[in-house]
Amino acid sequence: MSIDTHSHHDAHADGGHHEPPEVVDGRQRMSIWLFIGGDAITLAALVFTYLYLRGVNTSGHWMSMLGYPGPQLPGGHSWAFYDANVFNGSNPAAPTTIVTGPLSSGLNWLGTVVTAISAGLIWSAERALRVAKNKSAFTMLAALGTIVAFVAILISFHQLSLIPQIYSIHNDSAVMAFTAYGSSMMIIIGAAIVHLMLLVFLGLGLTLRSARGAINVENWYQSRLVRMFWVWVAISAVATSALTTTINTIH
Amino acid sequence: MTTTLEHKAPVIKHEGGGLARHQNFLTAMIGGIAGAFIAWAIAHHLLDQNVRTTSDAVAVLTGCGWIVGFWFGIGALNAPFAWLVGKDQTRKDQLYYAGEDQGTKRYWKYCTDHKVVGVQYIVMTMVLLGAGGILAMAIRTELIVPGNHFVNQQVYNGFIAVHGMLMILALIVAVAGPWGNFVVPIMCGAKDMAFPRLNALSLWTLVAAAGLLLTTLAVGSLTMGWVVLAPITDQAGVGMDFFALAILVFTVSTTVAGVNTICTVFTMRTKGMTLERLPIMVWGAIIAAALGLYAFPYFSLVEALQILDRTFSTSFFVGTGGGTGWLQANLFWLMGHPEVYVILIPAVAALFEISAVMARKPVFSYRTAIAGMVGLAGLSILVWAHHMFTTGWAPTLGGPFMVTTELISIPTGLFFLVLIGTLWRGNIWMKLPTVWMFGFIANFIIAGITGIYLSDIPIDNQLHGTMFVTAHFHYVFVGSVLFGAIAALAFWYPKVTGRFLDEKLGRIAFWLAFIGVQVTFMSMFVSGLRGMPRRYSSYSFIFEHTNFITTIGAYMIMAGMLVLGGAVIYCWNHGEPSGSNPWHANSLEWLVSTPPPLENFDVLPVITEDPYNFGKELVRS
Repeated sequence: MSIDTHSHHDAHADGGHHEPPEVVDGRQRMSIWLFIGGDAITLAALVFTYLYLRGVNTSGHWMSMLGYPGPQLPGGHSWAFYDANVFNGSNPAAPTTIVTGPLSSGLNWLGTVVTAISAGLIWSAERALRVAKNKSAFTMLAALGTIVAFVAILISFHQLSLIPQIYSIHNDSAVMAFTAYGSSMMIIIGAAIVHLMLLVFLGLGLTLRSARGAINVENWYQSRLVRMFWVWVAISAVATSALTTTINTIH
Repeated sequence: MTTTLEHKAPVIKHEGGGLARHQNFLTAMIGGIAGAFIAWAIAHHLLDQNVRTTSDAVAVLTGCGWIVGFWFGIGALNAPFAWLVGKDQTRKDQLYYAGEDQGTKRYWKYCTDHKVVGVQYIVMTMVLLGAGGILAMAIRTELIVPGNHFVNQQVYNGFIAVHGMLMILALIVAVAGPWGNFVVPIMCGAKDMAFPRLNALSLWTLVAAAGLLLTTLAVGSLTMGWVVLAPITDQAGVGMDFFALAILVFTVSTTVAGVNTICTVFTMRTKGMTLERLPIMVWGAIIAAALGLYAFPYFSLVEALQILDRTFSTSFFVGTGGGTGWLQANLFWLMGHPEVYVILIPAVAALFEISAVMARKPVFSYRTAIAGMVGLAGLSILVWAHHMFTTGWAPTLGGPFMVTTELISIPTGLFFLVLIGTLWRGNIWMKLPTVWMFGFIANFIIAGITGIYLSDIPIDNQLHGTMFVTAHFHYVFVGSVLFGAIAALAFWYPKVTGRFLDEKLGRIAFWLAFIGVQVTFMSMFVSGLRGMPRRYSSYSFIFEHTNFITTIGAYMIMAGMLVLGGAVIYCWNHGEPSGSNPWHANSLEWLVSTPPPLENFDVLPVITEDPYNFGKELVRS
């Protein structure tokens, strides 16, 4: 390979660790796009899982299970399936189909809207720093976006607690199970929680770094990177909500 | 103009590093064990012991504790938390993390220098292959005669599962790990990887995952083979939880590594290093990285679902709750077949590189080589269901999947075309890398042809689940990828150590391994054709002779690997000095001093020609 060792010695070439911010930023943006790409594959696999289980509807158990209906558990959304041995005599001779309902669409969309609002706040924070050169507004909006994302986590945990479940007792050992629908919702909501936790970490970082002067009007690139990922999480939340609230029951 | 860039790094005394000064592999192990114990104690205390899934939940949390503790102990979490509180690394910190002036200690630390990470990957690959190889010997010893009781059946099942997964992990990183890190950045004219800390993270996360995987052997009860088949996983003990978690963590490692490789190549090439001037090895690295980014999310999801089924009683793969094992099979093989090419492509790309240098010719049809790799990567995502022909899943799709699978022979054929075309009428230098390359070519022909048979549904219906399949993929992984990886090791070993890998010992290892592969897997083909099923610890007397031969062949391979391993260790300090550019190659990694200095180049070069323009003065007589 022919090379010229003398004509390309400029200040920027003097160490990968001393490159100008826009060069580093371009590289980091590419990495974020790639991570988002990988995350999009995961999202696609989650959607595949959801639709596949619904499509297969093994033994008609997408939202139901065979069992013995019992009293509703606290919260009013869970169904009980008790071992016939425990409730000897009080159960029907043959198990019946216990049908569980879908999760509340309103709550689902509430979590999504809150996530989208947090993304909007982070976007506004970035604009405040990049366009308006207003660092204090950036700090405030980033903090607010982080708090809102934290609220979205709480909503998601509440959703998790409401996933319909089948509950049984075998010889004093508790057995809880989820239908295919409940299982799919658990992984989708669980994945959302993991992403939101990451957002809270990043949002907290932006806020603290801004407060300590590590982010300023000349150095706004990191806020864009965080915003890119934040917006992606909001988009994926909209996508999963649209899917799980419109295609859930089987008629 | 071809030149060697010598480097005289000034000795700088510095005081950066902070907490990292006290962190190394030992603290990582202590942190991991402490984290695991704390997580176990908390989980054991808080979780209801009357719930059926508690033991699995405790195991998963214990594994998570190990990972977090290990990360903390090695220093992987230093930078994220420093970032969180607005404390960025200084230049001194960066130099400390890069291992400056730390001698061999830096190999035991969270070092960000890509060359150190490359060497760590070499060691890691050898450890994984060694552990997997020992299990392979145990498996073959069990099978040397029918009804043998070298190990009991449960232990045998565990050996099968862990051997398979260890070898897969080892081969995924066997070429892309060491050489994707050590030489690819230099080949591009970069001073380091795009994200040096992520680079170290990918390596040490792999170490943590491997630790978790090896732990499963002690915990046992792995009934499910390396493909983690559902719903048989229901029968597996808590070892299965560690197993799934290890894979989940491993996918984090590969994702991070893949992003890093792609960003390095696309954003850090030096001036004049156009995409068409990239050494072909670099193309292999980025195509494999991109394919990994596509494939491994399925891997992580399928293991996450396994963990949820076991710890939260979800029903992804449980029929009574509306799940299905087909979901597991689909998700697994959506990853599983591309993964074969994540493993294969870097090895083939390395051989393209070696063939050009050793034959003193440009890579034959450079664009065809790239097209072959891209084509293989693209087709590999459309063939997953050929692993499921006999499961009864979507029979009407059998035909299309058979066609896409058979189409794979086209880009595979391009590989042979490029390799043979490059070697054709070349001034071939029959040194150790070349010898192993020829071994690859011979074995890969057998691997490829038997693959075509298995892609054919009628034949697959007969051979699926037999030793024929086992022999086929061992020709791919051992006969082809491992031989390619060893060729790459022999080729770039002088750049890492400044010494040649011993030619004599290397050739002894080659012939032991090459003959061993034929003896082992040809006889295994015969066992398979006669109907011997895979994964069984005992078998009928009609398979006695072929299994005996297979085991003897396996011992030969192991003997070869021991000789090679010994040569690698011995020659590191005692091998024949090689100088900076022993193969008279033109790509950038050979033009810097040996070993390359920190940050590789004092002055970034400007590239004016491709790396395969071998002038007459460089043609060996």
